[in-house]
Amino acid sequence: MFAIQLAGVRIGMDNRYSFVEHQCKDYLCEARDLAFTVSASPEEIAKEQALGDYAADYCESICLYRHICELIPAHNVFLFHSCILEVDGYAYAFTAKSGVGKSTHCALWLKTVPNARVLNGDKPLIRVEEDGTLTAFGTPWNGKENWGENISAPLAAVCFIERGEINTIETVSEGEAVDRLIHQLYLRGPRQSVMKQLMLMDSFVRGVPFYLLHCNISKEAARLSFETMRKK
Amino acid sequence: MKINPDFTIQQVGGYYVAVPIGETSKHFHAMLRLNETGAFLWKLMAEKDISEEELVEALLAEYEVSREMAAADVHRLVESMREAQLFV
Repeated sequence: MFAIQLAGVRIGMDNRYSFVEHQCKDYLCEARDLAFTVSASPEEIAKEQALGDYAADYCESICLYRHICELIPAHNVFLFHSCILEVDGYAYAFTAKSGVGKSTHCALWLKTVPNARVLNGDKPLIRVEEDGTLTAFGTPWNGKENWGENISAPLAAVCFIERGEINTIETVSEGEAVDRLIHQLYLRGPRQSVMKQLMLMDSFVRGVPFYLLHCNISKEAARLSFETMRKK
Repeated sequence: MKINPDFTIQQVGGYYVAVPIGETSKHFHAMLRLNETGAFLWKLMAEKDISEEELVEALLAEYEVSREMAAADVHRLVESMREAQLFV
Protein backbone atom coordinates (compact mmCIF):
# COMPACT_ATOMS: atom_id res chain seq x y z
CA MET A 1 0.00 0.00 0.00
CA PHE A 2 1.25 3.47 -0.92
CA ALA A 3 -0.31 6.79 -1.87
CA ILE A 4 -0.01 9.10 -4.89
CA GLN A 5 -1.25 12.55 -5.74
CA LEU A 6 -2.82 12.95 -9.20
CA ALA A 7 -4.32 16.28 -10.32
CA GLY A 8 -4.30 17.39 -6.70
CA VAL A 9 -6.21 14.29 -5.52
CA ARG A 10 -4.60 11.96 -2.98
CA ILE A 11 -5.23 8.32 -3.82
CA GLY A 12 -4.45 5.15 -1.86
CA MET A 13 -2.95 2.34 -3.95
CA ASP A 14 -3.63 -1.07 -2.41
CA ASN A 15 -1.21 -3.00 -4.64
CA ARG A 16 -0.12 -6.66 -4.87
CA TYR A 17 2.91 -6.17 -7.11
CA SER A 18 5.80 -3.70 -6.83
CA PHE A 19 5.68 -2.75 -10.54
CA VAL A 20 3.01 -0.07 -10.05
CA GLU A 21 4.80 1.48 -7.07
CA HIS A 22 7.96 1.87 -9.14
CA GLN A 23 5.91 3.30 -12.01
CA CYS A 24 4.40 5.89 -9.63
CA LYS A 25 7.68 6.95 -8.01
CA ASP A 26 7.41 10.60 -9.14
CA TYR A 27 3.87 10.92 -7.75
CA LEU A 28 4.21 9.50 -4.22
CA CYS A 29 2.65 11.40 -1.34
CA GLU A 30 1.85 10.90 2.31
CA ALA A 31 -0.92 8.36 2.89
CA ARG A 32 -3.27 10.70 4.75
CA ASP A 33 -6.49 12.54 3.77
CA LEU A 34 -7.00 10.10 0.91
CA ALA A 35 -9.90 10.84 -1.43
CA PHE A 36 -10.26 7.11 -2.14
CA THR A 37 -8.26 3.90 -2.37
CA VAL A 38 -8.13 1.51 -5.32
CA SER A 39 -7.24 -2.16 -5.58
CA ALA A 40 -7.46 -4.86 -8.25
CA SER A 41 -8.67 -8.41 -7.55
CA PRO A 42 -6.73 -11.44 -8.88
CA GLU A 43 -9.79 -12.19 -11.07
CA GLU A 44 -9.75 -8.85 -12.86
CA ILE A 45 -5.97 -8.96 -13.24
CA ALA A 46 -6.32 -12.42 -14.85
CA LYS A 47 -9.09 -11.10 -17.12
CA GLU A 48 -6.84 -8.23 -18.23
CA GLN A 49 -3.99 -10.70 -18.89
CA ALA A 50 -6.25 -12.77 -21.12
CA LEU A 51 -6.74 -9.74 -23.42
CA GLY A 52 -3.09 -9.63 -24.38
CA ASP A 53 0.06 -11.46 -23.50
CA TYR A 54 1.00 -9.23 -20.59
CA ALA A 55 2.56 -9.81 -17.17
CA ALA A 56 0.31 -9.78 -14.11
CA ASP A 57 2.08 -6.82 -12.50
CA TYR A 58 1.58 -4.70 -15.63
CA CYS A 59 -2.08 -5.70 -15.79
CA GLU A 60 -2.56 -4.75 -12.15
CA SER A 61 -1.32 -1.26 -13.02
CA ILE A 62 -3.84 -1.00 -15.88
CA CYS A 63 -6.71 -2.13 -13.62
CA LEU A 64 -5.74 0.33 -10.88
CA TYR A 65 -5.68 3.28 -13.27
CA ARG A 66 -9.04 2.24 -14.69
CA HIS A 67 -10.51 2.34 -11.18
CA ILE A 68 -8.91 5.71 -10.53
CA CYS A 69 -10.49 7.08 -13.71
CA GLU A 70 -13.90 5.78 -12.64
CA LEU A 71 -13.68 7.44 -9.22
CA ILE A 72 -11.78 10.66 -9.88
CA PRO A 73 -14.61 12.48 -11.75
CA ALA A 74 -16.19 13.08 -8.32
CA HIS A 75 -13.25 15.46 -7.79
CA ASN A 76 -13.83 17.34 -11.07
CA VAL A 77 -11.03 15.47 -12.82
CA PHE A 78 -11.34 13.26 -15.90
CA LEU A 79 -9.19 11.15 -18.17
CA PHE A 80 -8.72 12.43 -21.71
CA HIS A 81 -7.02 9.88 -23.94
CA SER A 82 -4.51 12.10 -25.75
CA CYS A 83 -0.94 13.29 -25.98
CA ILE A 84 -0.50 16.60 -24.15
CA LEU A 85 2.45 18.89 -24.79
CA GLU A 86 3.48 21.83 -22.67
CA VAL A 87 5.01 24.95 -24.22
CA ASP A 88 5.86 28.10 -22.22
CA GLY A 89 3.32 27.38 -19.48
CA TYR A 90 0.37 26.24 -21.62
CA ALA A 91 -0.84 22.74 -22.46
CA TYR A 92 -1.98 21.53 -25.90
CA ALA A 93 -3.82 18.21 -26.29
CA PHE A 94 -3.67 16.02 -29.41
CA THR A 95 -6.03 13.16 -29.94
CA ALA A 96 -6.58 10.76 -32.83
CA LYS A 97 -7.85 7.30 -33.62
CA SER A 98 -5.27 4.63 -32.91
CA GLY A 99 -2.65 4.43 -35.67
CA VAL A 100 -3.30 7.89 -37.15
CA GLY A 101 -0.04 9.30 -35.86
CA LYS A 102 -0.70 11.25 -32.68
CA SER A 103 2.74 10.33 -31.33
CA THR A 104 4.40 11.12 -34.66
CA HIS A 105 2.89 14.59 -34.74
CA CYS A 106 3.87 15.22 -31.12
CA ALA A 107 7.45 14.09 -31.88
CA LEU A 108 7.49 16.70 -34.67
CA TRP A 109 6.46 19.39 -32.16
CA LEU A 110 9.35 18.38 -29.93
CA LYS A 111 11.73 18.90 -32.88
CA THR A 112 10.08 22.06 -34.20
CA VAL A 113 8.60 24.06 -31.33
CA PRO A 114 11.10 25.68 -28.94
CA ASN A 115 10.58 24.72 -25.26
CA ALA A 116 8.03 21.99 -26.08
CA ARG A 117 7.94 19.02 -23.71
CA VAL A 118 5.53 16.14 -23.19
CA LEU A 119 3.24 16.44 -20.19
CA ASN A 120 1.76 13.00 -20.88
CA GLY A 121 1.91 10.87 -24.03
CA ASP A 122 -1.27 8.85 -23.61
CA LYS A 123 -3.46 9.15 -20.52
CA PRO A 124 -3.32 12.62 -18.94
CA LEU A 125 -5.89 13.90 -16.48
CA ILE A 126 -7.77 17.17 -16.87
CA ARG A 127 -9.22 19.14 -13.97
CA VAL A 128 -12.15 21.51 -14.32
CA GLU A 129 -11.45 24.57 -12.17
CA GLU A 130 -14.11 26.59 -10.36
CA ASP A 131 -13.87 29.40 -12.91
CA GLY A 132 -14.51 26.94 -15.77
CA THR A 133 -10.93 26.84 -17.02
CA LEU A 134 -9.14 23.52 -17.50
CA THR A 135 -5.81 22.31 -16.21
CA ALA A 136 -3.86 19.36 -17.64
CA PHE A 137 -1.90 17.07 -15.32
CA GLY A 138 0.76 14.45 -15.94
CA THR A 139 0.21 10.92 -14.62
CA PRO A 140 2.42 7.84 -14.24
CA TRP A 141 0.42 6.21 -17.08
CA ASN A 142 2.29 7.50 -20.08
CA GLY A 143 1.75 5.14 -22.98
CA LYS A 144 4.21 2.94 -24.78
CA GLU A 145 6.69 5.76 -25.53
CA ASN A 146 6.80 6.47 -21.78
CA TRP A 147 6.62 10.20 -22.38
CA GLY A 148 5.60 12.43 -19.51
CA GLU A 149 6.42 14.35 -16.38
CA ASN A 150 4.77 15.25 -13.10
CA ILE A 151 3.83 18.75 -14.24
CA SER A 152 0.62 20.68 -14.87
CA ALA A 153 -0.42 23.59 -17.08
CA PRO A 154 -3.60 25.41 -18.14
CA LEU A 155 -5.08 23.67 -21.19
CA ALA A 156 -5.01 26.09 -24.15
CA ALA A 157 -6.48 23.98 -26.97
CA VAL A 158 -7.46 20.50 -28.12
CA CYS A 159 -6.63 19.17 -31.58
CA PHE A 160 -8.18 16.19 -33.36
CA ILE A 161 -5.67 14.75 -35.82
CA GLU A 162 -6.48 13.07 -39.12
CA ARG A 163 -4.18 12.18 -41.95
CA GLY A 164 -4.13 14.35 -45.05
CA GLU A 165 -2.13 14.89 -48.22
CA ILE A 166 -1.68 18.54 -47.40
CA ASN A 167 -1.65 20.29 -44.03
CA THR A 168 -4.81 22.15 -43.03
CA ILE A 169 -6.23 23.20 -39.70
CA GLU A 170 -9.69 24.54 -38.88
CA THR A 171 -11.74 25.23 -35.79
CA VAL A 172 -14.34 22.60 -34.94
CA SER A 173 -17.94 23.52 -34.13
CA GLU A 174 -19.24 22.63 -30.69
CA GLY A 175 -21.56 19.97 -32.16
CA GLU A 176 -18.74 18.25 -34.01
CA ALA A 177 -16.50 18.41 -30.93
CA VAL A 178 -19.27 16.69 -28.91
CA ASP A 179 -19.67 14.01 -31.62
CA ARG A 180 -15.96 13.29 -31.67
CA LEU A 181 -15.63 13.28 -27.89
CA ILE A 182 -18.55 11.00 -27.06
CA HIS A 183 -17.03 8.24 -29.15
CA GLN A 184 -13.82 8.20 -27.18
CA LEU A 185 -15.15 8.81 -23.69
CA TYR A 186 -14.98 6.03 -21.19
CA LEU A 187 -18.49 6.13 -19.74
CA ARG A 188 -19.05 3.25 -17.38
CA GLY A 189 -20.40 2.83 -13.94
CA PRO A 190 -23.37 3.95 -11.90
CA ARG A 191 -25.76 6.69 -13.00
CA GLN A 192 -24.26 9.33 -10.70
CA SER A 193 -20.78 8.77 -12.09
CA VAL A 194 -21.88 8.82 -15.74
CA MET A 195 -23.84 12.05 -15.20
CA LYS A 196 -20.86 13.62 -13.47
CA GLN A 197 -18.56 12.67 -16.36
CA LEU A 198 -20.97 14.26 -18.83
CA MET A 199 -21.11 17.42 -16.72
CA LEU A 200 -17.32 17.54 -16.89
CA MET A 201 -17.52 17.06 -20.67
CA ASP A 202 -19.92 20.01 -20.79
CA SER A 203 -17.28 22.15 -19.04
CA PHE A 204 -14.67 20.70 -21.40
CA VAL A 205 -16.42 21.76 -24.65
CA ARG A 206 -17.25 25.18 -23.21
CA GLY A 207 -13.83 25.78 -21.67
CA VAL A 208 -11.38 25.31 -24.52
CA PRO A 209 -11.20 25.75 -28.33
CA PHE A 210 -11.17 22.58 -30.49
CA TYR A 211 -9.35 22.22 -33.80
CA LEU A 212 -9.21 19.63 -36.56
CA LEU A 213 -5.82 19.13 -38.16
CA HIS A 214 -5.31 17.20 -41.37
CA CYS A 215 -1.62 16.55 -41.69
CA ASN A 216 1.17 14.66 -43.32
CA ILE A 217 4.41 13.84 -41.57
CA SER A 218 6.39 17.07 -41.80
CA LYS A 219 7.77 19.81 -39.64
CA GLU A 220 5.51 22.16 -41.56
CA ALA A 221 2.49 20.33 -40.07
CA ALA A 222 3.83 20.92 -36.56
CA ARG A 223 4.53 24.59 -37.26
CA LEU A 224 1.01 25.03 -38.65
CA SER A 225 -0.72 23.47 -35.66
CA PHE A 226 1.45 25.33 -33.16
CA GLU A 227 1.06 28.75 -34.81
CA THR A 228 -2.72 28.28 -35.01
CA MET A 229 -3.37 26.97 -31.52
CA ARG A 230 -0.70 28.95 -29.71
CA LYS A 231 -1.94 30.84 -26.65
CA LYS A 232 -0.72 34.39 -26.87
CA MET B 1 -42.53 4.06 -28.16
CA LYS B 2 -41.01 4.24 -24.71
CA ILE B 3 -37.36 4.77 -23.99
CA ASN B 4 -35.45 2.10 -22.14
CA PRO B 5 -34.99 3.54 -18.61
CA ASP B 6 -31.33 2.48 -18.74
CA PHE B 7 -30.65 5.49 -20.95
CA THR B 8 -30.45 9.10 -19.96
CA ILE B 9 -29.62 12.46 -21.49
CA GLN B 10 -27.34 15.19 -20.27
CA GLN B 11 -26.58 18.63 -21.68
CA VAL B 12 -23.12 18.93 -23.21
CA GLY B 13 -22.33 22.29 -24.77
CA GLY B 14 -25.37 23.41 -26.75
CA TYR B 15 -26.51 19.82 -27.27
CA TYR B 16 -27.80 16.80 -25.38
CA VAL B 17 -26.05 13.47 -25.30
CA ALA B 18 -27.95 10.21 -24.77
CA VAL B 19 -25.96 7.58 -22.91
CA PRO B 20 -26.49 4.13 -21.42
CA ILE B 21 -26.16 3.83 -17.65
CA GLY B 22 -25.70 0.98 -15.17
CA GLU B 23 -25.68 -2.59 -16.51
CA THR B 24 -26.62 -1.49 -20.04
CA SER B 25 -23.39 0.51 -20.38
CA LYS B 26 -21.35 -2.69 -20.20
CA HIS B 27 -22.64 -4.05 -23.50
CA PHE B 28 -23.97 -0.93 -25.20
CA HIS B 29 -21.61 1.72 -26.50
CA ALA B 30 -23.57 3.83 -28.96
CA MET B 31 -24.21 7.39 -27.97
CA LEU B 32 -26.50 9.86 -29.63
CA ARG B 33 -26.28 13.64 -29.87
CA LEU B 34 -29.60 15.50 -29.82
CA ASN B 35 -30.51 19.12 -30.45
CA GLU B 36 -33.03 20.98 -28.29
CA THR B 37 -36.11 19.59 -30.08
CA GLY B 38 -34.64 16.09 -29.92
CA ALA B 39 -34.17 16.47 -26.18
CA PHE B 40 -37.78 17.73 -25.84
CA LEU B 41 -39.10 14.64 -27.65
CA TRP B 42 -36.75 12.37 -25.70
CA LYS B 43 -38.24 13.58 -22.40
CA LEU B 44 -41.76 12.74 -23.63
CA MET B 45 -40.72 9.25 -24.71
CA ALA B 46 -38.94 8.71 -21.40
CA GLU B 47 -42.08 9.60 -19.41
CA LYS B 48 -44.56 7.25 -21.09
CA ASP B 49 -45.36 5.05 -24.04
CA ILE B 50 -46.22 7.54 -26.78
CA SER B 51 -47.01 7.33 -30.49
CA GLU B 52 -45.41 9.25 -33.36
CA GLU B 53 -48.70 11.15 -33.89
CA GLU B 54 -48.76 12.27 -30.25
CA LEU B 55 -45.14 13.40 -30.51
CA VAL B 56 -45.98 15.49 -33.58
CA GLU B 57 -48.88 17.13 -31.70
CA ALA B 58 -46.62 17.89 -28.73
CA LEU B 59 -43.99 19.39 -31.01
CA LEU B 60 -46.60 21.60 -32.74
CA ALA B 61 -47.88 22.80 -29.37
CA GLU B 62 -44.39 23.77 -28.24
CA TYR B 63 -42.64 25.05 -31.38
CA GLU B 64 -43.72 27.12 -34.36
CA VAL B 65 -43.14 24.65 -37.17
CA SER B 66 -45.28 23.29 -39.99
CA ARG B 67 -46.99 19.93 -39.53
CA GLU B 68 -44.95 18.45 -42.39
CA MET B 69 -41.69 19.59 -40.85
CA ALA B 70 -42.68 18.34 -37.37
CA ALA B 71 -43.77 14.95 -38.74
CA ALA B 72 -40.51 14.58 -40.69
CA ASP B 73 -38.40 15.54 -37.67
CA VAL B 74 -40.22 13.14 -35.36
CA HIS B 75 -39.98 10.32 -37.87
CA ARG B 76 -36.26 10.84 -38.43
CA LEU B 77 -35.53 10.91 -34.69
CA VAL B 78 -37.68 7.85 -33.92
CA GLU B 79 -36.03 5.87 -36.72
CA SER B 80 -32.51 6.72 -35.55
CA MET B 81 -33.47 5.84 -31.97
CA ARG B 82 -35.03 2.55 -33.11
CA GLU B 83 -31.86 1.76 -35.02
CA ALA B 84 -29.83 2.49 -31.89
CA GLN B 85 -32.18 0.16 -29.93
CA LEU B 86 -33.15 2.80 -27.42
CA PHE B 87 -36.75 1.64 -26.97
CA VAL B 88 -38.06 -0.99 -24.56
